[in-house]
Amino acid sequence: MSFCRQNSERPRAGTPIPRGGRTLFLLFFLFAAQLLAQTTESDRPVPILTGTAGYFNFVTAGQNQLDAQINPVVLVPLGDHWLVESRAEFEGAFQRPPDGGSYSGMVSKNLDYAQVDYIANPFVTVTVGRFLTPFGIFNERLYPIWIRSLQQDPLILPLSAESNDGMMLRGGFPVNARVNFNYAAYVSAISTGHNNLQSNRDLGGRMGVFLPGPRIEFGGSWQKLLQDQRTNSFGFHFAWQPTRLPLSLHSEYARSNQGSGYWVDGAYRFSQVAFWQKAMRHLEFAARAEQFFNGQISPDEAEALGLPGANTREGEFGLNYYLRDGLKLVGSYGRQFSYAGNFNLWTAGIAYRFAVPLGRVAQ
Amino acid sequence: MKGKILVGIWLLALMSAIGVAAASPRTNTTTEPVVRNSAEADTMRLEGEKRFRANCGRCHAAPQKFPPRMMATIIRHMRVRATITDEDMRLVLFYMTQ
Repeated sequence: MSFCRQNSERPRAGTPIPRGGRTLFLLFFLFAAQLLAQTTESDRPVPILTGTAGYFNFVTAGQNQLDAQINPVVLVPLGDHWLVESRAEFEGAFQRPPDGGSYSGMVSKNLDYAQVDYIANPFVTVTVGRFLTPFGIFNERLYPIWIRSLQQDPLILPLSAESNDGMMLRGGFPVNARVNFNYAAYVSAISTGHNNLQSNRDLGGRMGVFLPGPRIEFGGSWQKLLQDQRTNSFGFHFAWQPTRLPLSLHSEYARSNQGSGYWVDGAYRFSQVAFWQKAMRHLEFAARAEQFFNGQISPDEAEALGLPGANTREGEFGLNYYLRDGLKLVGSYGRQFSYAGNFNLWTAGIAYRFAVPLGRVAQ
Repeated sequence: MKGKILVGIWLLALMSAIGVAAASPRTNTTTEPVVRNSAEADTMRLEGEKRFRANCGRCHAAPQKFPPRMMATIIRHMRVRATITDEDMRLVLFYMTQ
């Protein structure tokens, strides 16, 4: 309402600009000068529109679902220390009704993050806004469809919040020549106003150690809900990329009052295979084993959160074929075992990552 | 009470780690590494490639090289997202743009 009133009382030409307006003008010229300065230097970062697009067929227990999604990411660097970044998710999931008929469904919209980062020094980056919850490694780093080796989400993913609205300190730095340390600590406020911007009042963080020599990373995460039952969640993560093999291993364990579980994920690129090298170097075999154990909530509550309603085990394997950088065909088969029933999971689709500059890049 | 102890231990460990790192020799804070001759540039490229494979390979396959101004933005994004170190960021940027 106040926004409409301000528009109707906008000063006409010749009218002195009010103090608030002058501040806006000053800010505009400050940022304009900064952006202009960037265009004159060939090595200055340029704003980018990047992200992923994908189309998948998920067949779960015989029920086919057509899934089309686009996840645009906007990156706007400002000066030497600032970065404004945001990712949205638009996903259309369409199914045929049980009694037959044409495919129908909903398009969901979600703002995953919209944050301002200030790189204060080599040890600390301050982040304010809506950010991905730094719990484990999947949510922050392995979630994009062009990165993940299998397209199904791990069963334990909903055990921690996926996004929070608040403030975070994070960074990574070498402790010595063989050990890097990384951390993230955050506090967030409750936000219930809009379905796509929901956040809990949380306090939490993650610490990790990366050994660049053997390429091993391990660490732990913790989150405390500062509302309702004030529950704690914690987890551990591990990643290893052996130097001699084109293999990538990731694993996570998480526990909260809603349940607990783990997943172990491996992806092997056939680049060292001696035959059909031209084709084989583009091919990747991926497999995942995971298990979920029910917590202190009812099956209905668990399913509302996106968790299985009963203790569940799942195995999945698949093939990814990289047509070119950022474009891959995916196919996988999995089977889920639980007291609620066993069923097959089939996935086939294509994932694409795009990146276009929003300014001049030529030198 | 147990929660407060956990928070205390967590903060103490974090501050200790930052303290240890802050006490070690600092790297310069300019965006571009200082290169004095071609031999040094070659060494930095090799080291940059090593850091690139170690850091970027933690999550995804090696991407193509983008123009330097795009790469500068992407590496800043990845520094925040993957909490890679300041030194690794500079060397990877050098490798990806030279």
